[in-house]
Amino acid sequence: MEFLGKIVIAGLMNGSIYGLVAIGFVLVYKSSSVLNFSQGYMLLLGAYIFWFFKASLKLDLLPSLLLALPSGFLMGIAIERITLRPLIGQPLISMITVTIFLSLVLEGLVSLIWGTYPLEQITVFGRGSGTVGSIVLTTENVCAFGVAFGAMVVLILFFRYTNLGLAMRGVAEGHQIVQSMGIGVRRIFSISWGIAGVAATIGGILMGTTLGFQLGLSHIGLLAIPAAFIGGLESPEGAILGGLLIGLIESVVSGYLGNAAGVPATFVVLILVMLIRPYGFFGLERIERV
Amino acid sequence: MAHTTYYPPSGIYADSFKKDIRIVKTRTQLILAVSAMLLLVAVPLIPGLNSPYLLRLLIGIGITIIICLGLNILTGYCGQLNIGQSAFVMVGAFTSGLLNHSFGWSFWACVIPAGMVAAAVGVVFGIPSVRLKGLYLALTTLGAQIILTWVALFHIPLTSAGFTVEPVKIGSFYFDTPERFYYIALVFTAVMAFAAKNLMRTRWGRAFIAVRDNDRAAEAMGIDIFRYKLIAFAICTFYAGVAGSLLVHYMMWAQLESFTLNDSIWYVVMIIVGGLGSIEGTIFGVIFITALKELIFVIGPMLEGTLAFLPIGAGSGLLLVIIGGVAIFFLIFEPRGLAHRWNLIKAYYRLWPFGY
Repeated sequence: MEFLGKIVIAGLMNGSIYGLVAIGFVLVYKSSSVLNFSQGYMLLLGAYIFWFFKASLKLDLLPSLLLALPSGFLMGIAIERITLRPLIGQPLISMITVTIFLSLVLEGLVSLIWGTYPLEQITVFGRGSGTVGSIVLTTENVCAFGVAFGAMVVLILFFRYTNLGLAMRGVAEGHQIVQSMGIGVRRIFSISWGIAGVAATIGGILMGTTLGFQLGLSHIGLLAIPAAFIGGLESPEGAILGGLLIGLIESVVSGYLGNAAGVPATFVVLILVMLIRPYGFFGLERIERV
Repeated sequence: MAHTTYYPPSGIYADSFKKDIRIVKTRTQLILAVSAMLLLVAVPLIPGLNSPYLLRLLIGIGITIIICLGLNILTGYCGQLNIGQSAFVMVGAFTSGLLNHSFGWSFWACVIPAGMVAAAVGVVFGIPSVRLKGLYLALTTLGAQIILTWVALFHIPLTSAGFTVEPVKIGSFYFDTPERFYYIALVFTAVMAFAAKNLMRTRWGRAFIAVRDNDRAAEAMGIDIFRYKLIAFAICTFYAGVAGSLLVHYMMWAQLESFTLNDSIWYVVMIIVGGLGSIEGTIFGVIFITALKELIFVIGPMLEGTLAFLPIGAGSGLLLVIIGGVAIFFLIFEPRGLAHRWNLIKAYYRLWPFGY
């Protein structure tokens, strides 16, 4: 029972971060119907940028966060500007493939600058720990969970109640209509990629502090894909619940069946969900008849 | 010169359907094709060209062409993205390898079953996605890559450790050196390329193109989208399986490390650089990317040696940046790939000196 409790807690903690990264997917998908396969590598780059400010320049936590998050925003905008902008009007499949290739470039950049070995471990949130019943919680875990959850709530409110968020949802529906209503499609694209970059950077920092700053961080992007799909690609709430679910499945399966079984299990669940509810639990069902 | 493919060779009039559908239309084309084939056949015999390095490179190119032909049929012709192709190569390779290792079947008996098993596994993974549009196949194929690798690694003892496979033989003649296996690779690549070229000119091929260009219109015309997507996926994975079978019998050793997600992405890079929806383009793309890769394998360590400030592993980083960058460059500036360049050159030749 204690073991189960432990892995459930660990699963939920990781799940909240998957959810945060999945929100990055949802954000880009909602504004451009592009599935951004490079989200995991944006996370990697964001984490390494933070590490650069924190460990190489030896800044305090707050200044390095204040530098890393805008860098994440700029990273998202730069990616959109260089690779996605020229493809507006091309078939969707080329926009999706370009994000796959982008992940090669980003991984290559990171290993060109920082090498392929894991970086030196740094503490971000202090090293305390407390217990709930018999389950040990470290400060890092709790902070990660809190930050991820807070960021998710902010993003959900943003989509529902701000003009910008509504404009993004409009852009996803159709570029021409929105443009003729006076909303700049390009500006919306830039901003949504920027926010996706920030979400990726936050996720990267949180994951980096718990798992260490290493190239393997990009695999979280891989796990966030099933999370976004199970929740439904149009729905931020779905992304969170999907993230928690995926975190739980991964952690429970790897706890009982061995470490390597976690990731494949999430993809098995993904394929099953696609068979039963192809648009995810909270996604928008598009009905087409010929 | 937008519609380059519409310039037929000068003086050739398609006055019957039979003449119109010929692949080789003029004597020049026939001479060029035959001499290219003769040159390829002669490569292992010409001194200076027949180094084992070059032959291994050519064999690799041949096998990769088969893999990418399948992928191009699915992605280029039918418009479905597959980022798990190397998992299906793995299924073919292990099927063939296990049949040979455990039951003693020869390569010739293994190669078709390998393709069939890969196609069957492919269809299983294809079913959930073909109900849906767009990017969903990308997801299930990504899932296939992860799940199949995991199964091979943890659930089949033989495949997790790797095992030996017999080389190809006819009678008692073994194709166990690069010079000998080269011919097997050449014949298979030529046959598979020719089959793909012709398959795409049949009813199936036209249906694939219709599904890619506008699936709603295709369905309205009476094309069963579900069926044709599955057929395209089965063909794609069949090609992967055959290539996998060739690969293990060439290496004489089957192991997991040759089939990673990165390999799958490389195949997509190759067909995009070569040209989506073009058989010639597939061949150009594979050759181009393989040559680029070899070049970087030479330059990367040199750079790492001379520029001391670069961290360890910068060479592999450089490879990724350049390959990814080339692919993005092609997607943005030359979305029709090298095949389009090739058609422009052909059109220039045909229209010369009045190329306006």
